[in-house]
Amino acid sequence: MNDFVRAFHFVGDYWSHHLLGSNHSLADLTVQHLVLSLKAMVIAVVIGVPLGMLLGHIHRFSFIAINVSNLGRALPSLGIIAILLPYTGISETTVIIALVVLAAPPILTNTYVAIEQVEVGTVDAARGLGMRPWEVLVKVELPLALPLIFAGIRTSTVFVVATATLSGFFGGGGLGDVIANPASFGTYGVIGASYVLIVLAILSQIVFLTIEYAVTPRALRRPLRWAIRRAPRARNVEADPTRTHPGSGAGADDHPDDPNRQLQLEQGSKIE
Amino acid sequence: MKINGLKARTTAGVAIAALALSLAACGSSGGGSGGDKGTGSTNTDQPGKGKPAVTMGTKDFAEEFLLGELYAQALRAKGFTVNMKKDIGASEVVDKALTSKKIDMYPEYTGVVYSGKSLANLGDHPKSAKITYDGAKKWEESRGYTMLQPTPFQDADGLAVSKAYAKKYDLKTIGDMKKVGSFTYGGPPENGTRYQGVLGLKQAYGLNQLKFKPLKTGAQYQALNEGQVDSIAVFTTDGQLATGKYAVLTDTKGIFGYQNVAPVVRQSLLKQEGPAFASTLNAVSKLLTLKAIIAMNKSVQIDQKDPAVVAKAFLQANDLV
Amino acid sequence: MTLGIVRASVLYADKGPKIPDFGKTSDCVKNNGSFCWAWFRHNWSSQFEPRLWEHIELTVVSVGVGFVIAFVLALLAYRARWLAGPVTFVTSVLYTIPSLAAFLILVPITGLGRMTLYIPLTSYTLLILFTNTLAGLTGVPDEIKDAARGNGLTPMQSLWQVELPLAIPTIMAGVRVAVVTIVSLATIAAAVEPVGLGERIFDALNKGNFHTQFIAAGVLCVLLALVADGLLVLLQRVVTPWTRARRTR
Repeated sequence: MNDFVRAFHFVGDYWSHHLLGSNHSLADLTVQHLVLSLKAMVIAVVIGVPLGMLLGHIHRFSFIAINVSNLGRALPSLGIIAILLPYTGISETTVIIALVVLAAPPILTNTYVAIEQVEVGTVDAARGLGMRPWEVLVKVELPLALPLIFAGIRTSTVFVVATATLSGFFGGGGLGDVIANPASFGTYGVIGASYVLIVLAILSQIVFLTIEYAVTPRALRRPLRWAIRRAPRARNVEADPTRTHPGSGAGADDHPDDPNRQLQLEQGSKIE
Repeated sequence: MKINGLKARTTAGVAIAALALSLAACGSSGGGSGGDKGTGSTNTDQPGKGKPAVTMGTKDFAEEFLLGELYAQALRAKGFTVNMKKDIGASEVVDKALTSKKIDMYPEYTGVVYSGKSLANLGDHPKSAKITYDGAKKWEESRGYTMLQPTPFQDADGLAVSKAYAKKYDLKTIGDMKKVGSFTYGGPPENGTRYQGVLGLKQAYGLNQLKFKPLKTGAQYQALNEGQVDSIAVFTTDGQLATGKYAVLTDTKGIFGYQNVAPVVRQSLLKQEGPAFASTLNAVSKLLTLKAIIAMNKSVQIDQKDPAVVAKAFLQANDLV
Repeated sequence: MTLGIVRASVLYADKGPKIPDFGKTSDCVKNNGSFCWAWFRHNWSSQFEPRLWEHIELTVVSVGVGFVIAFVLALLAYRARWLAGPVTFVTSVLYTIPSLAAFLILVPITGLGRMTLYIPLTSYTLLILFTNTLAGLTGVPDEIKDAARGNGLTPMQSLWQVELPLAIPTIMAGVRVAVVTIVSLATIAAAVEPVGLGERIFDALNKGNFHTQFIAAGVLCVLLALVADGLLVLLQRVVTPWTRARRTR
C-alpha cells in the first residue's frame, strides 16, 4: 500500500525533473509516448478510413471488412513484434508496425459499417439530386458516418496508447521506459508511470467522446447518457432486426456476422 | 453433424468445452515441466537427502542462467532439492527477491555487491579482487547472508564499440570517447541508474554527452551491428567478444571494478543444509576459469545451446554429476 | 629422454577443468539466419512445446475462472439491475490497469509464482465477460419471456431453457474476445515469470536476437490466438445452429 502512495510522490518529483540516469523527465516520456502513439494512429487512419469508405460505398467484401477487425484483435502484439524483429530490428519502426496492425482493423471495420449502413433512401435521394458517386460519398455518407468512424478511432487510440508501453523493452522511449524497468525505478516508480498511463488513456477517451458527440448530427443525438453505457433493455425484435442503431448495446441480433454486434463488442481496449 | 434438441446441443457444447479444458490441463502437466527435473545420479553419496529444499534465483542474462544450472545440477547430484527461479530480473530486483525470502540464494558478482550496496562514498574503488570480495562478503554477512568461495574468472561490465568505429576515432580507453562528441550508449535499462553504468561514465569519465538507449541484455550486439547505437554495454566474458568484431575500451578509472562470481546464500539456510552444501558449491566455483566460462558462454550465446545441457556436459566431464 | 619431457609437461600442464566439446552447431544458427528449420524441429519438444502448453493452460484457467465469476455476477445483476453499474465500474477499473504494471505490482505481494499471473489475467476477463453475459440476457425480447412464462415455465426454467440459450451468441462473442485478449496478455506476463510463449520471445532477446526463436515463438503465438478464435466460432455454431443461414443483403 505504501508503494501506491509513494508512486504519487514519484510522479510529482520527476514530472519535470530528469529521471535518474536519464535526460528525460516523466513529462518528456509522456510526450514521447504520445508521439509514438500518434504516429501509429495516423498510419492506421490513413489505411483504414479510405479503404473502409471505398468498401462501404460499393457494398462489397463485407465478410472481410467485418472480420478483419476480429483478426486484428486476435493478433498478440508481442508476437507480432517478435516476428518483425529479425526484419526491422530493435527500433521504433517495429513497434509502430505492430501498433498499426492492431489499430487499423477496428478503424477499417467501423468505417466500413458506418458508410455501408447509411440508409438506402438517403443515398437514393442524393443521387436523385444529381450528385455524382464521389459527391454522395463525401457529402452525404461520410458526415453521417463520422460518429461511428470516430468511435472506431477512439477504440484504437486507447489500445495503441496502452500497447505502446511495450516499446520500453525495445529502447523505443515513452512511459514503457519506466514501466519495464522496475530495477531502476522500483515498484513505486512503475506504479507512478502507470498512473500517468491510465490518465492518458482516460483523457484520450474523453477527447474522442467529445469529438464523436460534436460530429453527431444534432437530430441523432441523445442526451448525455448517450456516452455512458448501460445494460440495455430488451427491444422489440420484430421491428427490423438488422437495422438497430449502431452502438446501442448488444441485442437480439443473432447473426454472428452482424456488423452491429461486432461494434457493440468493442468494450474499450486492453491496456497492454 | 446434426444435433437436434436444445438440450442435446448444449450438452454437446459443454462436452466439447470440457474436452478442450482437460486436454489443456493434460498437455500442460505432461509437456510442461519447465526443466525442473533433477538429473539422476549414480553417486551413492547423497548428503543432501532429507535436507530442506533450496530456492535458487538467477538474473536475466545468459551467463547467470549457466551459473544457476551449474550450481543447481551439482547440488541435485548430491541429493539436494533445488527449485530454480530463473530470469527474475536485474541485480536490484533479484536482491529484493532474496531479502523478501522469495529465493534463498543466487550467483552474484562481487563488484556489484561492493559498489551497488555497500558504497557509502562514490570515490571508494577497491584496488583488488580480494579486497572487493572481502568487502562484499563482510557486507552480506552484516545482513544475515554470506558469500561462498569466489570463482577464478571475472566478468566485469565493459563498454564496447565496433572495431571500425574504434579505428575511426582512435579509441583505446573509455576516456577516449570524449573525442567523439555526442554518442549513443545501449545497455540494460538498469544501467541508466547505476554507477557501473551511465552514472559512472558521466561522473568518472565526464561523458555527459552520452545518450542512453535501454536495451535488453543480449540484444545490444545486434543493435550495434545495425548501427542503431554507437557503443554498448558488454560483459567481458560474452561469447560474442571472441569473434573479434568488437573493441572493448579499457576502463582506466576502474568504474566497473572487479567481478568474481560467488553464491550469495542466507546464513540460516547454510546451517540447515549442512557442510556438504557449501563444499559442493565451492567445488563448482573452483572449476570456473576464464577459459571454461568463455567456452560455455560461446556455446550458449553463439551456438544457441541450452544452458542446462551445456552445464550438464561440463559437470559430467569434471565428475561432479 | 622423451619420458622426462612428458613428465615435465605433465607437471607444468594447466591444471584447469576439463572443457568438453559442447557440440557443433549449424551455420544457419551461427549466422543468425532468418529461420533455421532444423534447429526448430530439434528443439520443438524441449523448448517450444512445453511453453505452448503453459500458455494454453494460463489462458484456459484465467478465462475459465473469469467466466465463472462473471457469469455469477451477471446472473445476480440480471435479477437486481442496480448491481450492473457498480460491477461494471469495478471491472472497468481492473481492466484499465496496464497489464505489465499489474504483474510487476503483484510480485512483492504474491511472489514469483503462477498466482501473480492468474490474478491479473482473470481480472482482465471480467469486464468483457460480465458485460456480454448481461447484455445477452437483457437482450432477450420481452415477448419471448412472456411467451415462456405463458407456457408455464417458472422463472428459473425460463432462464435456463429460454433466456440463456438465446444469450449464447453474445456470451460466446465475449468469450472469444476474452480468450484472444488473454493469449496476448499472457505473452507479456513472461516479463515477470518465465512462462508461456512470451518466455521464448524474451529469451530470444537474451540470446542476441536469435531470429529463429523470435519467429517461431511469434508465429506460434499468433497461430494459437487464431486457432482458439476459430475453434470458439465453431463451438458457437454447434451450440446455436439457428444463428446460421441468415444473410445480410
